[in-house]
Amino acid sequence: MPRRFGAFGGAYVPETLVPALAELERAWAESRTDLAFRAEHRRLSRTYAGRPTPLYFARRLTRRAGGAQIWLKREDLVHGGAHKLNNALGQGLLARRMGKPRLVAETGAGQHGVATAMVGAALGLETVVYMGEVDMARQRPNVERMRLLGARVVPVTTGSRTLKDAINAALRDWIATVRTTHYLLGSAVGPHPFPSIVAEFQSVIGREIRHQSRAAFGRLPDLAVACVGGGSNAIGTFHPLLRTEVELLGVEARGPRGSPHGADSLSRGRPGILHGAFTYVLQGPDGQVAPTESISAGLDYPGVGPEHAWLKESGRVAYRSVADDGALAAFRWLAEDEGILPALEPAHALYAAVGEARRRPSRERIVVTLSGRGDKDLEVVLGAARSRA
Amino acid sequence: MVPYLMVDRRRRRRLAGTVRALEQGGAAALELGFPFSDPIADGPTLEAAADRSLAAGTRWADLRAAVSVASARLPTAVMTYANPVWSRGVARALEELRAAGATGLIVPDLSFEESAPWRSAARRARLSLVLLAAPTASPARMRAIASASSGFLYLVSRFGITGRAPPTASRTLRPLVSEAHRAAPRLPVLVGFGIRDRSSARQALASGADGIVVGSALQERLDGGASDSEVERWLHTLVPPSQPDKG
Repeated sequence: MPRRFGAFGGAYVPETLVPALAELERAWAESRTDLAFRAEHRRLSRTYAGRPTPLYFARRLTRRAGGAQIWLKREDLVHGGAHKLNNALGQGLLARRMGKPRLVAETGAGQHGVATAMVGAALGLETVVYMGEVDMARQRPNVERMRLLGARVVPVTTGSRTLKDAINAALRDWIATVRTTHYLLGSAVGPHPFPSIVAEFQSVIGREIRHQSRAAFGRLPDLAVACVGGGSNAIGTFHPLLRTEVELLGVEARGPRGSPHGADSLSRGRPGILHGAFTYVLQGPDGQVAPTESISAGLDYPGVGPEHAWLKESGRVAYRSVADDGALAAFRWLAEDEGILPALEPAHALYAAVGEARRRPSRERIVVTLSGRGDKDLEVVLGAARSRA
Repeated sequence: MVPYLMVDRRRRRRLAGTVRALEQGGAAALELGFPFSDPIADGPTLEAAADRSLAAGTRWADLRAAVSVASARLPTAVMTYANPVWSRGVARALEELRAAGATGLIVPDLSFEESAPWRSAARRARLSLVLLAAPTASPARMRAIASASSGFLYLVSRFGITGRAPPTASRTLRPLVSEAHRAAPRLPVLVGFGIRDRSSARQALASGADGIVVGSALQERLDGGASDSEVERWLHTLVPPSQPDKG
């Protein structure tokens, strides 16, 4: 497995963790050629996670845009309500294979925490989830779900009290407990081999898009769109499409309109080292990591997966950002036109996709990865509506 | 003994006095910490100290000034995370630190695997690059880290981050220190993380280490408003003046 994507990636971690990362890489490499492991993973993906997820033609949203057809890859229908289970399930099985009885995880929107809690319950592994205090307040339903699923949720009160700080806390826990604990990292970020492992477990999204679009409209889509925080659903969407002609668009969170603290690290950051990887980082003078703001907790992160940094530099994927109000608009469109409440994270991608559809001819097909459902965001969305009224 | 001191703009006028107190308290060298926003190897005490220092506006120029002041009295190494150094440009940052009087650089999130370009920059700047070794390292890995390290070898005494935690029993520390000596026969071995009082200091030195690093516990004293003379007296309680200090 490559340690680097172009110049990006690597493993900048305290020495205590290096052997654990090597052990993880070994276990993962062995699992890939282990037929029993793969069969178990396939069985649980089907019978527990509910894969494959459908590819849905959004007829009325397409009519609203008035151009190219918009199709939705329905990762919101994965058990738990988001694509996060794809990776949590795979890594949970790896943890069991390595004989580690305890999982730690970070979570922003709470979806990865919920997925890890579910896997911990199903595989009988103790689960501890670190979550920033700010995120706990804005994603309450997911906090309750994690607790009901048997996980211990630890509030993180340091720094910006969001996803970045939850990752710091999870890493600190792992440094102290590495012999018995697997860090089930939820996004395509962090030190090698995490970005590659997460990309592989999420690539089921892009593989299904390939098959399903051929079945649905006889060819690959013209454009695939996904939101990017750390970038796990996006890398899973893009990976199997990299060596095709499909245009790829990643959408980051610009934050409140006019705010200098948007979370769009690929647009406004510069290369640096955060959470073990060399990648694009929003940072101030002296390399101090900058505070970020976004209506969606899952995209509110000052770094990005190192492979995205490389895909941006190589020009294979285009990245742009959408502000909070765009995501809120797309949330309402999908609710009213299709009867689907999207999570605020993919609502950013939807907004960009509708814009693309509008300026493309009707013969073109756009696939948007709907990475999660929006039940967790009702309070935020209703609060935003109230403050506008 | 090697105390660790976080650079903080608000303390700049007091620094010379504190360094003098550390020297008289038995310090053989000094680690100056430059704060980073995301210190993943640090516990709550040093993380909070870093947050306060950054909030007070501490900048790279403050580090250079602090190195100049400290290195007039004690050999001074700088400890900070990879990104502040990277963002300045590794070669430039190292040359600036050397010019200010630093003798070494310690980067807790720089693994051996990523260290090659940093090592050559350090050689060019005539600055020691100190890598950290941990209890998880195999003998072969310990040797690799030792061969890539210069100045001294920094041995992390236990599983965990800096600061308060159960001290490492000397019976587990001793073989680890011996392993480090075997891997680095020409380098002093310093033990750090979790040394906070007379008994943990004694245990660490009894394990055969050449010296100890004291960080969080000193920071707690400073946070509590300890004067320089109180700091000096406290250091003497860790390692009494009668005991020869090999650090």
